[in-house]
Amino acid sequence: MVIRHEWIERNAILMLVLVLITISIGGIVEVVPLFTIETTVEHVQGVRPYSPLELAGRDIYVREGCYLCHSQQIRALKDEVERYGHYSLAAESMYDHPFQWGSKRIGPDLSRVGGKYSSEWQYAHLANPQALVPQSLMPRFAFLAGTPLRTDDIQAKMRTLRTVGVPYTDDQIAHAKDDLLAQADPGTDATAFGKRWPKAVIVPGNVAGPTEMDAVVAYLQVLGTMVNFANVTTEQLRQ
Amino acid sequence: MSDVVVGLLVTVLGLVGLFMASGARDDEIYIFGLSLAGFAVLFVFGLIRGHFDRLDAARLDAARRGEP
Amino acid sequence: MSAAATGVAASPVVYNEAVVRKFVIATMFWAIVAFLVGVVIATELCWPNVSFGLSFLNFGRLRPVHTSAAIFAFGGNALFATSLYVVQRTCRARLFGGDALANFLFWGYNFFIVMAALSYVLGYSRSQEYAEPEWHVTAFLVIVWVLYALVFVGTLLKRQEPHIYVANWFYLAFILTVAVLVLGNNAEVPVSFYQAKSYSLYSGVQSAMIQWWYGHNAVGFFLTAAFLGMMYYFIPKQANRPIYSYRLSIVHFWTLIFLYMWAGPHHLHWTSLPDWTQTLGMAFSVMLWMPSWGGMINGLMTLSGAWDKLRTDPALRFSVTAVGFYGMSTFEGPVMSVREVNALSHYTDWTIGHVHSGALGWVAFVSFGAIYYLVPNLWKRSGVYSTKLIAWHYWIATLGIVLYITSMWVAGIMQGLMWRAYDQFGFLQYSFIESVAAVHPYYVIRLAGGLLFLTGGLLMVYNLIMTVRSSSTEQVTAAVPSGIAVAEA
Repeated sequence: MVIRHEWIERNAILMLVLVLITISIGGIVEVVPLFTIETTVEHVQGVRPYSPLELAGRDIYVREGCYLCHSQQIRALKDEVERYGHYSLAAESMYDHPFQWGSKRIGPDLSRVGGKYSSEWQYAHLANPQALVPQSLMPRFAFLAGTPLRTDDIQAKMRTLRTVGVPYTDDQIAHAKDDLLAQADPGTDATAFGKRWPKAVIVPGNVAGPTEMDAVVAYLQVLGTMVNFANVTTEQLRQ
Repeated sequence: MSDVVVGLLVTVLGLVGLFMASGARDDEIYIFGLSLAGFAVLFVFGLIRGHFDRLDAARLDAARRGEP
Repeated sequence: MSAAATGVAASPVVYNEAVVRKFVIATMFWAIVAFLVGVVIATELCWPNVSFGLSFLNFGRLRPVHTSAAIFAFGGNALFATSLYVVQRTCRARLFGGDALANFLFWGYNFFIVMAALSYVLGYSRSQEYAEPEWHVTAFLVIVWVLYALVFVGTLLKRQEPHIYVANWFYLAFILTVAVLVLGNNAEVPVSFYQAKSYSLYSGVQSAMIQWWYGHNAVGFFLTAAFLGMMYYFIPKQANRPIYSYRLSIVHFWTLIFLYMWAGPHHLHWTSLPDWTQTLGMAFSVMLWMPSWGGMINGLMTLSGAWDKLRTDPALRFSVTAVGFYGMSTFEGPVMSVREVNALSHYTDWTIGHVHSGALGWVAFVSFGAIYYLVPNLWKRSGVYSTKLIAWHYWIATLGIVLYITSMWVAGIMQGLMWRAYDQFGFLQYSFIESVAAVHPYYVIRLAGGLLFLTGGLLMVYNLIMTVRSSSTEQVTAAVPSGIAVAEA
């Protein structure tokens, strides 16, 4: 039976239905298997959800549009791996709601910037990038140091993330405020904190209380540090 | 008829805006909520004004044509 | 039984032109805003201190203002204006839903735009390109969009003309697909009804795929299919020629809307998106070249027998040049989708150059052509105030585009090559900052290109204001100016 286009042109509802069917196919084929194929997110050890201070810092990174100049995805290309470190695994961004891979490098990739510079360097650079890198195009973020960090919504944020699949435990949520303060206070006893948040970096902080800058630095200092690549096998890397 | 349906929809939106603004926990929801309420007030005012403008215009037309 | 089929003269329809006029004015207003913000951020990339360290002037907060203004404010209002104009005239039916609903589309859509831009500047963003507005602003957009679909489909359903004209297939596909894309990509949970912060349902690699399923089709449907709809009405109207090939329009329409939806992964080549997805995206992106050029051919060949009009009608010149740039961009795109090419181009300014050849060369130019046609028509003037100014606009804007894209090609390829360069000892030759410093001159040239494009836009606004207000363009007779649609039997 020959379908005559004329029939479609004379029937708006038929055209509407056929358009909807036609445009749905590509998305279904490309998206659904990413949820159903188990090895899409590699089974490596070490990736954990962001600590309360890191989460606050990430939310600032998101709202300031840092992803517009900085990528967070090292491609499986020789020169890139040499410049930035092991190529990024899907597992490393599995708790990023949404992803921050970026699509432009006006500044360098940040996937493995954690631990690359001292926290003091990060503070100085965020406040005045050109003071450390004269030809940098990065704007100044000194205002972050002058803005006290909002902490009253941190538990609500963690609960919301749990709703969308991030495995925060009740213990972690209950201690959220304490952990946030502890991570910005080098003088505090960090044993309990360290158990809940392995590899979290304690940042210098501020006597008046954590600032937005503390949060951003805490977030930057953990990037790319969670997975120990010495322990990763090729079998685990196969998607 | 279109006036009434759209007017009702926009009124509901305006009320939603007021609720958002009343409980706002950040600047953005506060500003958005108030703006939505303001938008609703202005838009519904425009609908009412347009309705009566059309009524007046029709009455003037009828008078010009000599109808009672 | 339609009036046309019985041979009886079609009942005269009074079209809702008031709402179209509003959308045309908004289109030009936002065009200037978009070009201006573009110039501001281009300046920041040359001399970062111009933001004075102020949070609300940061590149990261202003860039979404520019992209939203260009795509949704300028592009969106142009599409509302032309789709509502075209659907009425090609259906010979007044807009479905009444004046109040049409006015809500106008004021509601522009309210959404203002709220979105304000939210970015205040520091609220979802960090997803072309989908930055947070949940509350997007929810409002969804309401406006559902009503837009209702008005458009409702008008199609009450049509007196039995066939749905080709331009409306493209507008319909655009409206429906954007709804699907926005809903799919904006699945998120707000932290609270009272907070402008939400978290996406998706994370990591799935979130990346869904974002670029959305993002590429924001380009494919919002910026391409919809503007093809515009082309399919305004080029035949301005050239006074029929569309070149009915059969070609059918084939390329269905192929285009099918293939586009698969192209997303070409934004994610060499990343941790699985290989099979990348390969699918690449293959379909390359195939997409065909229906895209089908559209280009149909648009250009419509001019056959009327090429001399390009000399005398500068507005038509815009529309036709737009189709040329469309062909160029839809060739460049598939080339950049090839993994080996993308290994060089991704993350560089070549992508920016590609975007702007499409946005300025195709989207903006086809809109300018349509608006130069529409303004005298809608305001019942004899013609545009100054044909010479249109020509000046054309040449200044074209020069601006050429400067923009060539500077970005050079910058982009330079970045790509510098990042992968090895010296004779086998070490990476350049530090990242050296690549930043190297492209500075090209960023300045790009700024010059953008300034020229803005200047052209300002000339257009002046010309159109004079068209509407000047006594020199008043209609002298009651005769309908040529080119305006009259209810055809």
